[in-house]
Amino acid sequence: MNPSLKLAWVVLLALELSFTQVWTVNLVLIVISLILMLACHVPLKRLLWLTGVPLFFASALVWSLTLQGSASHHFLIVIFTRMFVYVYLGGLFTQTTDPLILTRSLEQNAHLPSKFAYGFLAAFNLMPKIQAEVASIKAAALMRGQVLHVWSPQLYFKAILTAMHWSDQLSLAMTSHGFVEGAPRTQAEVIPLRRRDWWLTAGSLIIIQVGLFTGLP
Amino acid sequence: MAVVNVNHLTYHYPHQPEPVLNDLSVTFPAGKFSLLTGISGGGKSTLLKLIAGLLPNSDNHGTIAFDGQPWTSIPVSQRAQTVAMLFQEPSLQFTMDTVENECRFVLENLQVAPDAMPDRITTALSFIGITNLRHRNLMTLSGGEQQKVALAIIVAMNSDVILLDEPFASIDPAARQILLNKLVALCTDHGKTIVLADHDLSGYAHWVDHLAVLEAGQVTLLTPAETQARFAKFVPEKLAIHPMIPSNDAATVLQGTQLGLTQGDRVLLEPQGLPLYEHKTTLITGPNGSGKSTLFRALVRLGKYQGVLTYQGTNIQKIRQRRYARQVSLMFQTAAAQFLNVTVAEELALSLKYGRSTDFSAERLDGLLTRLGLNGRQDQVLYSLSSGQQKKLQLLCMLIMAPPVLLLDEPFKGLDLASVTTVVALLREVQAEFNLTLILVSHQLSGLDELVDYHLKLDDQHLQYVGVSHES
Repeated sequence: MNPSLKLAWVVLLALELSFTQVWTVNLVLIVISLILMLACHVPLKRLLWLTGVPLFFASALVWSLTLQGSASHHFLIVIFTRMFVYVYLGGLFTQTTDPLILTRSLEQNAHLPSKFAYGFLAAFNLMPKIQAEVASIKAAALMRGQVLHVWSPQLYFKAILTAMHWSDQLSLAMTSHGFVEGAPRTQAEVIPLRRRDWWLTAGSLIIIQVGLFTGLP
Repeated sequence: MAVVNVNHLTYHYPHQPEPVLNDLSVTFPAGKFSLLTGISGGGKSTLLKLIAGLLPNSDNHGTIAFDGQPWTSIPVSQRAQTVAMLFQEPSLQFTMDTVENECRFVLENLQVAPDAMPDRITTALSFIGITNLRHRNLMTLSGGEQQKVALAIIVAMNSDVILLDEPFASIDPAARQILLNKLVALCTDHGKTIVLADHDLSGYAHWVDHLAVLEAGQVTLLTPAETQARFAKFVPEKLAIHPMIPSNDAATVLQGTQLGLTQGDRVLLEPQGLPLYEHKTTLITGPNGSGKSTLFRALVRLGKYQGVLTYQGTNIQKIRQRRYARQVSLMFQTAAAQFLNVTVAEELALSLKYGRSTDFSAERLDGLLTRLGLNGRQDQVLYSLSSGQQKKLQLLCMLIMAPPVLLLDEPFKGLDLASVTTVVALLREVQAEFNLTLILVSHQLSGLDELVDYHLKLDDQHLQYVGVSHES
């Protein structure tokens, strides 16, 4: 499926489910996402993570709501399944979409400014370097007797300073590699936006509307 | 072919009293290999960035022209094919994930037709001899490989003028030699104009006719005879003294057993035993990119290694990180990596708070600041200090901490000889006071004879103590 449409589909759906309370639809979406992820060979370990983390938070939430005593059983089930829908839909999207294809699609199909699309991609590809830098900042602090935690502002101050330097450097490199903001470019790879993608998106959204508004529990 | 003309160029960085380039005029001949040299911080990078059009020069004066055509009159879409630049930091010049995707990205920018791309990429990669890297992820390549990819991209772009800013600063000699050969081929066989900035002049004598020297904001072009004389003078400095080989019964503080280091799939250090001696100063030397900094990162647990490292007999992985960091600390190669605050005073206060001596007097601190030429700068923002001042402040902060083992990665980088002398004296004083173990990596060797006890040489993936044997 076209990545831009897939992204729009996931965002729309998540938004809509936040305002409706039909747990059967949630359940169906969870099962479908799970089947699709299994079909796309998402590693089992990642699936377990995607299940374990929401399980913990959903249980904690339901437990605290139960203690409070005012929530109905129906509401509790909706809340519990909703957490899973969010995580599974997110998982389905990230695990089955290649960042480069998404970038190309956003540029070609969604007509996002290419500077934004490729700037994001460059930053994404720097991830390992950013992790190493954060480790380095923490070590530098420890050597001076200071412990920096995930919530320490100093860690972010330093990381942002480094990121600013890197982004300058990256944008120079992009310019040097012939990238000009807003200039026409050719496409090494054309991301198709087929009629099938539109039918699939529209069709599945309509079916979900039927499910949401025909009085299912 | 394109000749590069720089005319009466003046460039002033904001908030700096002196212009870094002052009424500079120079011509880089078409189809020639020009080498630009000068002290670090002297403006080489600035000049190259201005020629490449990467630095706006609106408030300043002067013109830059390619074959007589001013930069500003070249259509935006043609600029990358006129001039391209290869940067000092290998890993920060790519947008995409793999080599092939980066090449495609560049060709898309140049509006090359999609069906012409594969051939052009193949030709460029095979010219540099890296077709095997085509599908590799850029972030997993070594610095040398990344620079080869960067050059292959410029070849694919077919730019007339190729600028290189200290491209060999962090890559190994073998990769450097290959890149140099390719650059020479690009000049002689393909008529490219090449301008390379480097402060290290070794290995260029065969290729370069005219050395361009950037000094006090101006470039002087040397004659062939002067150029050769300059090359001949540039022999790597030798250590003035002959350090001893450590005796067998000397006490070790850090000990590596079957210690091995790799970078990606490149072996930096074959597994070997490595003793580092207590209360001594050990100097580690070796070619660029051979793994000296990687060794330091392993010693402070910032990098992976094979084998076992022990500190005072305990495996360093079993010591609490918080405790270990105070025992074995690293003075990073880039000063900014050490700083955690905004002003000089804040940075010093942090060191004083957790430092070794509990009663570090204000007079003593003032004295030290004066000796390092940093007095009166307490309220200054760290990042507005010059690189030499940053380096000296960084050292002072680490010396106040005075960890039992202090690793120093190029502590004299960018310092003038007078500063080196002061810094060495300080290091010796603090070492004597607290009985420190100092381990340093340095390319700068003059003025170190008083300081160094042992010399550890990293060569051919092997670390070995060199010097005079003990005679008991």
